[in-house]
Amino acid sequence: MIDRDVISSAMYEAMRLAATQLPPDVDAALVAALEAESDPLARRHIEVSLENARAAAEGEGLVCADTGFPLFFITAGSRTQIEGGFGALHDAAAEATGRATADAYLRPTMVDPLTRANPGDNIGPGMPRVLLSFEGDGDGLEITAAPKGGGSEIFGTFYRMMYPSDGEAGILSFVLDAIREGCYAGKICPPAIVGVGIGGTADLCMALAKEAAVLRPIGVANPDPNVAALERKLFDAARNLGIGAMGAAGTSAVMAVNVETAVTHTAALPVAVNAQCLVGRRWRASISASGDVSFTGDPA
Amino acid sequence: MNETVRDLTLPLSEDDARGLELGETLTVSGLVFTGRSRLHIRAIEQGILPPLDFSAINCFFHVGPVMRQTEPGWEVVSIEPTSSIRFERYSPALVRKLGLRTLIGKTTMGPGTAEALREVGGVHLSKIGVCGNLLRRQVKRVVEVHFLEELGKTEATWVFEVERFGPFFVDIDATGRNYFAELDAHSRERLAAMRGELGIPEDFAYTEVNP
Repeated sequence: MIDRDVISSAMYEAMRLAATQLPPDVDAALVAALEAESDPLARRHIEVSLENARAAAEGEGLVCADTGFPLFFITAGSRTQIEGGFGALHDAAAEATGRATADAYLRPTMVDPLTRANPGDNIGPGMPRVLLSFEGDGDGLEITAAPKGGGSEIFGTFYRMMYPSDGEAGILSFVLDAIREGCYAGKICPPAIVGVGIGGTADLCMALAKEAAVLRPIGVANPDPNVAALERKLFDAARNLGIGAMGAAGTSAVMAVNVETAVTHTAALPVAVNAQCLVGRRWRASISASGDVSFTGDPA
Repeated sequence: MNETVRDLTLPLSEDDARGLELGETLTVSGLVFTGRSRLHIRAIEQGILPPLDFSAINCFFHVGPVMRQTEPGWEVVSIEPTSSIRFERYSPALVRKLGLRTLIGKTTMGPGTAEALREVGGVHLSKIGVCGNLLRRQVKRVVEVHFLEELGKTEATWVFEVERFGPFFVDIDATGRNYFAELDAHSRERLAAMRGELGIPEDFAYTEVNP
């Protein structure tokens, strides 16, 4: 039985770490992008961003001040038990988000969509977002906290319901247009991690794109060789659009293009794109059944 | 961010603004005020403006700062310039209404703002990289805040005194030229070439179900 307060504390700490430290794979990918980039302004964008992130890691400020949407991706095992039941995850997430906002690790950014009223704590209907899935027969919890910045979410979300006859040409065309549009003038804060969902229902398609962008470690290809080949084609093409970091000239538009698929209706070919920005914030807390907690920036 | 670049004193004079070249890197020193969507909408739709002397406090910084209240007063945690293009609906009117010579934000604005800046003799300066913690070091004083109760910390109007603030680069100059417009033309050509390499037929069109 995992204690509710242990979960809330772990969520707070994972959110604090995500807000103040680059995940190691993202840090390494930015360094690699800098080495491969030749455009002086694009290089400067990356250098400054790395320097800014180092300041945050040393206790000065945040990786990025737009801490965006507070998201928690949670995976439980079939034997996981939680004090107060699984519904306690929502309360724990709200408590962690409120604390992180009060301590200025999260900016109060969530507002009512119509009145635009800001409660000041990032808590309201739907937020923080808790996405629960089950995997394996374990008894622990894996919680990834991801403060997802506005730039990538607002300017980097695309969806189209295509049809089987649109085929791979349709997929390539749609995703490349989305990357160019999102990266123009640095709207999604490139070098971006581009998540692509193909298949499923409309909402599943978008969820696949988001998870591909936020949760997949950089440098890991889809295990299906056909999908991996599609990722490679899109990645290579994205690096040849004449767009670099933050929309400057150059080649560093993307750090990764990650594609996830789900089976879909025989009449449909839904495709979604969701981008993650260059700071790629996510930090994971692993909680054992006995309540031991460990943290890592390397995603599952 | 250590290289020495030209520093200009705020408020910019018209000569200063018109002397800046597209792509030039610079820092600014003086007073800036902050705002985002709410300031724009309220200023133009409702005529609600913060009580500032805009001839003296003339640099509009597009940002929602992260602020922390401490014993001696407000402290800046991080200030990341936000995407200026979101304000394009109201920005040209605001630039004209307040005679703004300096906008600071993240990358590009539309032709309407570019034209308004050309008329008043003003520029848009874009951030370089993700830089909110580095900019924080250059805020010497939190001078005042307006609309904190109504709008909250993120959308309130803060006035900061800054010193060697930046560096930023000029992405819209006082003639209305836009740094990103030329890059856009180039990337459209590259996109067409990449579509060809990937074997997307030139006449490809998505299946139309409302023919």
